[in-house]
Order: sequence, then C-alpha cells, then structure tokens
Amino acid sequence: MALLEVENLKIYYFTREGAVKAVDDVSFSVDRDETLGLIGESGCGKTTAVFAIMRFVAPPGRIVGGKIIFDGNDIITMSNEEIRLLRGKGIAMVFQAAQNALNPVMTVGKQITEVILEHERITKEESWERAKRQLELVGIGSERVKNYPHEFSGGMKQRVMIAIATACNPRLLILDEPVTGLDVIVQRQLLTLINKLRKELRLPIIFITHDLSVIAETCGKVAVMYAGKIVEQASTVSLYENPVHPYSQALIRAYPSIKGEKRGLKSIPGAPPRLINPPIGCRFHPRCPYAVNICREEEPIFRKKNGHLVACHSIK
Amino acid sequence: MKKDAVLRVENLKKYFPVRKSLFEFMSSKKEEYVRAVDDVSFSVQEGEVLGFVGESGCGKTTMGRTILRLIEPTSGRVYYEGIEVTSLDRKRVKSLRRKMQMIFQDPHGSLNPRRTVADILSQTVKIHGLANGKTEEDELIKNTLEEVELKPTEEFWDRYPILLSGGQRQRVGIGRVLILQPKLVVADEPISMLDVSVRIGILELLLRLRDKFGISFIYITHDLSTARYVCDRIAIMYLGKIIEIAPTEDIINKPLHPYTQALVSAVPVPDPTVKMHELPIKGYVPLIPAEVFSSCRFYPRCLHTRKKCREEEPPLIEVGHDHYVACIKAK
Ligand SMILES: Nc1ncnc2c1ncn2[C@@H]1O[C@H](COP(=O)(O)OP(=O)(O)OP(=O)(O)O)[C@@H](O)[C@H]1O
Ligand SMILES: Nc1ncnc2c1ncn2[C@@H]1O[C@H](COP(=O)(O)OP(=O)(O)OP(=O)(O)O)[C@@H](O)[C@H]1O
Ligand SMILES: [Mg+2]
Ligand SMILES: [Mg+2]
Repeated sequence: MALLEVENLKIYYFTREGAVKAVDDVSFSVDRDETLGLIGESGCGKTTAVFAIMRFVAPPGRIVGGKIIFDGNDIITMSNEEIRLLRGKGIAMVFQAAQNALNPVMTVGKQITEVILEHERITKEESWERAKRQLELVGIGSERVKNYPHEFSGGMKQRVMIAIATACNPRLLILDEPVTGLDVIVQRQLLTLINKLRKELRLPIIFITHDLSVIAETCGKVAVMYAGKIVEQASTVSLYENPVHPYSQALIRAYPSIKGEKRGLKSIPGAPPRLINPPIGCRFHPRCPYAVNICREEEPIFRKKNGHLVACHSIK
Repeated sequence: MKKDAVLRVENLKKYFPVRKSLFEFMSSKKEEYVRAVDDVSFSVQEGEVLGFVGESGCGKTTMGRTILRLIEPTSGRVYYEGIEVTSLDRKRVKSLRRKMQMIFQDPHGSLNPRRTVADILSQTVKIHGLANGKTEEDELIKNTLEEVELKPTEEFWDRYPILLSGGQRQRVGIGRVLILQPKLVVADEPISMLDVSVRIGILELLLRLRDKFGISFIYITHDLSTARYVCDRIAIMYLGKIIEIAPTEDIINKPLHPYTQALVSAVPVPDPTVKMHELPIKGYVPLIPAEVFSSCRFYPRCLHTRKKCREEEPPLIEVGHDHYVACIKAK
C-alpha cells in the first residue's frame, strides 16, 4: 500500500447559488519515494484536494465522499487529537502565498521553535538549536534566526516557510504553488532547494502548480486536473512526450518554451467552466476539438493507455 | 537612432525618495532615493513589439508609466513621433494619450464592476468624443468587440465584468484601448494573472492588432518564455537600467551579459528531460535598491568580475548587429 492513497474523494462547497463541485471523484496515490505533481488551471480544485488531506476543509466546504488513507489510517475519520499529531509530524504543508502568512512581529526563529515545541517534548534551548539547523538547511544562515520577516525577500520568506514545514520531520510534504509569483532566479534557487530536500530527507512531496515547466523540473509523476477532476495521470516524462487526454495535449501545446526552436503555440478556445454547473458528460467537451455525442452525455471512466491513466471516451 | 521611430526615449530617469522612519530621518544627513528608472534610452519602431524583461522591482512598470507621463520623470526626454512628450503641458499630454495607451496586469481591478461591457467602451467613446451620435457609437463598439473576439457581440454587450472569464475581461481591457486607435501600447504583464490555457489567445490577439493596425507595443513581463513568443526585440533590465537589448532570438540563444545569461538559464523549461544547471549568479537583489553605483551595478552578483568592473559603470554599447550590452567583457 502506498504512503498516501486518495480514493474517490469528493469535496463540495455548499453556497447559496448551489453546490460547487470543487473536487469530484478524485483518486491518486503517493508512495514513499515519489514526488507527485498536481497541475491544473486556477479554480480546478488543487488546493481543495490537498486541504482535505490535512483535514482543513471548512464550511461551506464539506468532504462528501471518498477515503484518504495515510499510512493505513483514514484521515477522514480520525479524531481531532490524531489530526493534531498528523499535522506537522505526519504531513506538513506550505500554503499557497504562504510568504505572507508569517507573523510580522515575531522573529523567524521563534516561529520555527513554536512549531517544534508544539509537537515535541524538548527544551527551549534545544528547539532554538533545531531552528538554526532548519535555517541552514534551507540555505539561510543560522545567524539570521533573530531576524523579522520584513528583513527577508519573498524567496527567503518562502524558504522560512519550508524550514517551518520540515521542522518536525514530516513523512509527506505538500507544497501549494511554492514558487508562483517569484522571479525566475529566485524560483530556480527554490526548486533546487526542494529537490535537495527531497533527496537528503528522502521526503515524498505533493507539488501543486499551474506551471507545466515547474512540474517538469521537480516531479516524477503528474496528475492533470481539470474542473474538479483528474483527467490524466502518468510519469512526467511520458506525459510531456505523449500526452493522451486532449486537455493535456492542449495544455502542452499552449506552453511556450525558451529552449530549442521557437515553435508555434495553440491557444485553447473558451475558458474553464464554473463548478456550480459543470458541463454534463466530460467536463472538457465544450473546449475539446474531438468531442462527439457520447462526450456530451456520459462521464468518461479511467482507462489505461501507454501506461497513462486517462479519462477520455476516445480510449477504448 | 533610426528615423521612423514611433517612440524615442533618451536618458529617462525616475527616482523616488526612500520612505524612512522618523529616527532614520533625524539621524541621516542626506536624502536617499530608489533609482527605479536610472538613465534608460531606447526607441520603438512602427509595428514593433519591444519586450522589457527583468525581475520584480527592476523598474519596468515605472518606466512604462513615466513614458506615458502617468507619472512625471525625474529627468530625460520622451519623443512620440518626434514630439517631445516630456515638455508638453497637461492638456496636450491628454490629447496625445489617445495615441499612447496602457494595458494593465489585472483586468479585474481596472474595469468598473457596475458597468456593462458596452457601457465601459461607451464611456471611453464619450470622453474622447469618438462618435457623432448613438448609432455611430454603437457601430464603433460593435466593431471593437469583434476585433477583440468577443463574439457574437450581442452576447457580451450587456454583461457585467464579474460574469466574464479572466481572458474575456482582458479582452474588454484591450478593446477599451483599441477603440482609441492608439499607435503605441504599453502592455504591463497583460497575461500573468490569466489561466495558462487562455494566455496564448491574448498574445495572439495582440500580435494580430499589431499586424492589422501597425500598433507598436512595449511588452512588460518577467517571463522570458512568453516574451520570446511575442517580441521582436527584448530589453533586459536590472536595477533600473537596460543592461542588454537585442533581437529576441539573440537574447535567448546568445545572451552576452552575465545577468541575461543567468536569467535565461533560470527559466524553467516544460521538458522533464532537460536537467537543471547551477545558476551563474550569486547573492540576491537588494531589498531597497537605493545605492548609487560607481561600479557595474551587477558587480556584487557577477561571477566573472574584473578590476575595471568595480571602477566604473559600463555603458550600453553595440557589440553585434542591433545587439547592445553594458558589460566590459562583451566586446
Ligand atoms: N470557501 C469557498 N466557498 C465556495 N467556493 C469555493 C471556496 N473555496 C474554493 N471554492 C471554489 O472551489 C473551486 C476550487 O478551488 P481551489 O482553491 O481548490 O482551486 P485551485 O485549483 O487551488 O485554484 P488556484 O490555482 O487559483 O489556487 C473553485 O471553483 C473555487 O471558486
Ligand atoms: N510610488 C512609488 N514610491 C516609491 N517607490 C516606488 C514607487 N513605485 C515604485 N517604486 C519602487 O521603484 C522600484 C521599481 O518598481 P516597479 O514597480 O517599476 O518595478 P517592476 O519592474 O514593475 O516590478 P514588478 O515586476 O514587481 O511589477 C521598486 O523598488 C519599487 O519599490
Ligand atoms: Mg490553489
Ligand atoms: Mg510591474
């Protein structure tokens, strides 16, 4: 059994206008030596899906179905005390736009020690030593342990967030858009750090992004999400070379690259649907060049093709 | 400089005073400035797309706004079709502004949520007196919506911005600019807030407007991959200065300034078989770039420094066809 197994997960937001089907029957797994990239456009349900793994989903959102098995235990049915233990020591997460979540009036060292002291019975002195080690680990000198967040740039704050997330040796790390909005040089330095941590700490990672090129540099396997559903899962290399689902194909064809010959790009017509009333049948059909009648009527199920798991009617 | 430039910028500077706490104010002798734009010169030809690429805070937006005189320059000159914009009085600037327009990053924030698409465009038509009477105005709005591909136009006419997708909103923003028949458009990160799947559509639209109407663009972005897709030439900015400017493929394939080289090799590639290399750069961009440079401004981060780099700021010189670099090693 894999370290994390998510099965048929459904999370809806019950709003006045109706139920937003943010995550609708989603399954994936992450094993002890894996980095899973979760890719998809804004609003397709990436954050919602991983929030459920930490059991952070709050009203109007509700997990309405499925299982989340971490190391053999179902997170959905855990007691609050078990969840408290899970967060930090079991699974840690760096939130989207987390740089802004640091407490501005507390030194970064203090913020790291607080997390450690919450989860481990060690002395204050020991926790400060650990905080310094964490800062070194993420490439910030330990001499900056008494600095305040405003003394750091955006990229360095993100490093602090990673230092906090890894402080209690979690067994799974979730990074939600960890490099979005940062400059490419800072972004590259962070990706290098993330890859180093993954190797040195042998840490499985779920990496969320809307950026295909960032996934390419970090993840071994990838799940493509569209409008609340995963449409294709494959190894990263295979997905980029041979995308099977029309949406994956379109996404890759719409992506400019700085390497190689300048190639023509193709835009995808239309825009992602709103998830209150997603299209019936395959959710991508209104934008799909290959859509036929069945795509407008029936939801496709997952089938295997070239080692990919794909939800598309074109596969028989 | 070539003669048929739509825009010519000479030694443009924009400095902002650094905000200080009272204590710092009392204790320090001299005023400090952020040199947001620090002696920038270039020109844009008719129908050209000139990209400005650089990291956050390097002065791209400030430069764009200063050119349009949305903010006043500290010094330097800007010429639009030979007319010196920087010395015009407010009223003349206003009438010129029709020809020089700006597209913003956040299509959401720049559209009035209480007006329909047609109202938004109609407001621009009225302010600038573009039409004689309602029929002519409607005709103009309809044509514009078609140009920005919000078709069928009846479907978008009475919609409020909230009911549009990000890409459609940006199209309204572009329509509002296009209706004025501008000659030069500064597009400041026009796609960075949009979904990946609709970005290329917007870039294609800009290129089509360039081809059809001969509009020149200054395309501001921190993303070299999309800049490669739309720009004829690219200028790389570092701490307020252009440190390299060249035809797009030269910047991408033959970057000469060490900073451009670092920037190009840092760009992530959508190909998992390409391995990441060590970046040829050290250190960080200063948090508040208020330093006065007597050395090359890239000196603290450069891996190839020589003694001379510390002694003077290298000028931007032509080292190849249309390829200018501010580095003493690039000769
Ligand atoms: N509290 C909420 N109430 C109602 N709807 C919500 C709420 N939170 C999220 N949603 C909706 O759920 C869907 C999924 O949102 P989510 O934040 O998970 O997407 P995402 O893929 O992480 O997007 P992004 O890339 O923008 O972060 C969206 O359509 C969003 O509008
Ligand atoms: N009104 C202002 N007052 C003081 N400083 C300013 C002002 N506007 C900009 N600056 C400073 O000038 C510098 C350049 O800012 P600018 O916004 O032009 O950069 P940019 O290249 O557009 O960055 P980004 O990619 O983040 O948009 C920054 O250091 C910024 O803090
Ligand atoms: Mg999200
Ligand atoms: Mg800007």
